[in-house]
Amino acid sequence: MRLPFTIAAHDRKLIPDGRFTGAMPWVMAIMIFLTLLAAAAALVLAHAASKGGTELSRQATAQILDDDPGARQYQQNRVATQLEKMPGVASADVVPDEEARALLEPWLGQAASDADIPVPALIDIEFVTTPSRERLAAMQRELSRIAPTIRIDGNAGWLQPWFGLMRSLLLLAGGIVLLLLLATAATVALAVRGALNTHRSTIEIMHMMGSTDLQAARLFQRRVALDALFGGVVGLMGAAVILLLLQERFATLEPGLLAGAAMPLYGWLLLLLIPAAVTTLSMAMARWTVLSTLKKML
Amino acid sequence: MQSVAEFDNVGLRYGTGAETLTDVSFRLFPGSFYFLTGASGAGKTSLLKLLYLAHRPSRGVIRMFGEDLVNMPRARLPGFRRRIGVVFQDFRLVPHLTAFDNIALPLRIAGISERDLEGPVNEMLAWIGLTERADARPATLSGGEQQRVAIARAVIGRPEILVADEPTGNVDPDMALRLLKLFAALNRLGTTVIVATHDIHLLQEIEGAQMMRLDKGRLSDPTGSLKHPPRPLVLRN
Repeated sequence: MRLPFTIAAHDRKLIPDGRFTGAMPWVMAIMIFLTLLAAAAALVLAHAASKGGTELSRQATAQILDDDPGARQYQQNRVATQLEKMPGVASADVVPDEEARALLEPWLGQAASDADIPVPALIDIEFVTTPSRERLAAMQRELSRIAPTIRIDGNAGWLQPWFGLMRSLLLLAGGIVLLLLLATAATVALAVRGALNTHRSTIEIMHMMGSTDLQAARLFQRRVALDALFGGVVGLMGAAVILLLLQERFATLEPGLLAGAAMPLYGWLLLLLIPAAVTTLSMAMARWTVLSTLKKML
Repeated sequence: MQSVAEFDNVGLRYGTGAETLTDVSFRLFPGSFYFLTGASGAGKTSLLKLLYLAHRPSRGVIRMFGEDLVNMPRARLPGFRRRIGVVFQDFRLVPHLTAFDNIALPLRIAGISERDLEGPVNEMLAWIGLTERADARPATLSGGEQQRVAIARAVIGRPEILVADEPTGNVDPDMALRLLKLFAALNRLGTTVIVATHDIHLLQEIEGAQMMRLDKGRLSDPTGSLKHPPRPLVLRN
């Protein structure tokens, strides 16, 4: 296969660089920069949704609401022991009373530490896989024999709107990537058509001398490939700086819903492929534009 | 004798206008030399365009090198065009290429290596007296020099048919004669030459050349060239 960069020096002279390029490499750089940012957003969201979301949705909280503090603590320990024996449960950690009260401090202030205020006894449960609602209900029924006031709430339930939002944002980011790729392809088509008009007489002369459409297309493909490569390098450098800065910011966040919101290694590798993909797309578009335009000539 | 080009009731119309060429029928034989004459607007350039495959006819049949060109797929045309050399009336040199590169263009398109084309192109430059101007671009060449480059470009690939549209229009009489001798030399090597001109002096320079005349898009046959095989050429001096 002949690479677009390997055409002979004399063939390159047929389409002088200065007349074709102009703002094109910079337009490509901007398009690739925006495509990279949108793709990075999609990758980070996908990673966060699969990592952070999955971790959280495997967790549930059991609360025992008995009024008697002694009975509450007794039941809490027994339930925790029982939970650890249950299949599919990775761990069941008793939340100390002080910690539970500390959780209420933002709402109750100092009163949260008042022993007279009944605070539910909490157990953090981590499952091997995300438990279904039915599974949690069955567990609650079983454990109510030990603690009649027990209530088990899975994180998956309240995470649903979060997952929905993540999915919407992911689709939006993916859509923006697609739109940017379409816009890039359209930009290439317009630029190549303009260049074809500028060099129409040269192409006609080449045709009259027996040049094939592919010979002409190769000249434009090479030019577009060089512009896209330049744009790719500039766009990638710009996007990398922004993404590294954002990554630094995310790293300082407390663990939680956005804990996984960092670019995974495979994400960086995929981002590196985008300039190459845009270059390939641009070349294919240039080739298609030239061939479809020349088809109208004899 | 097998003809290299055969037109049968060919008509050509641009858009919805009147026919530029009407019922044109003739055969060109290998190794023959033809002059195509006619007043301005008679259709000479249109006829040549059909010959060098820049247009397809609106009607009729054109066969070249034994094949029907009217229904030939586009993808096969480049191969045929490489067998035809063309000297355009307006030269049509590539403005940003040097004289050397313009002359080398058909060879490069045909895939000839740089090593193999350098000798022939330099020889051609020497023949047209432009060795010193090999690196000059068309804009810096005079009209006559441009025309010589255009002719050199048309003949460098040793085409089977050479089509020339007013090839001597911008050169002095001596150069015109030299160019005609080049065409005759190519013709003796087997190239079929067809020269469109309204310079009647040129017609007298080559004995044995046959004449076709176009009048308002219709072809007449003053020398019987369309009916009889060609006679051997003799250059007058």
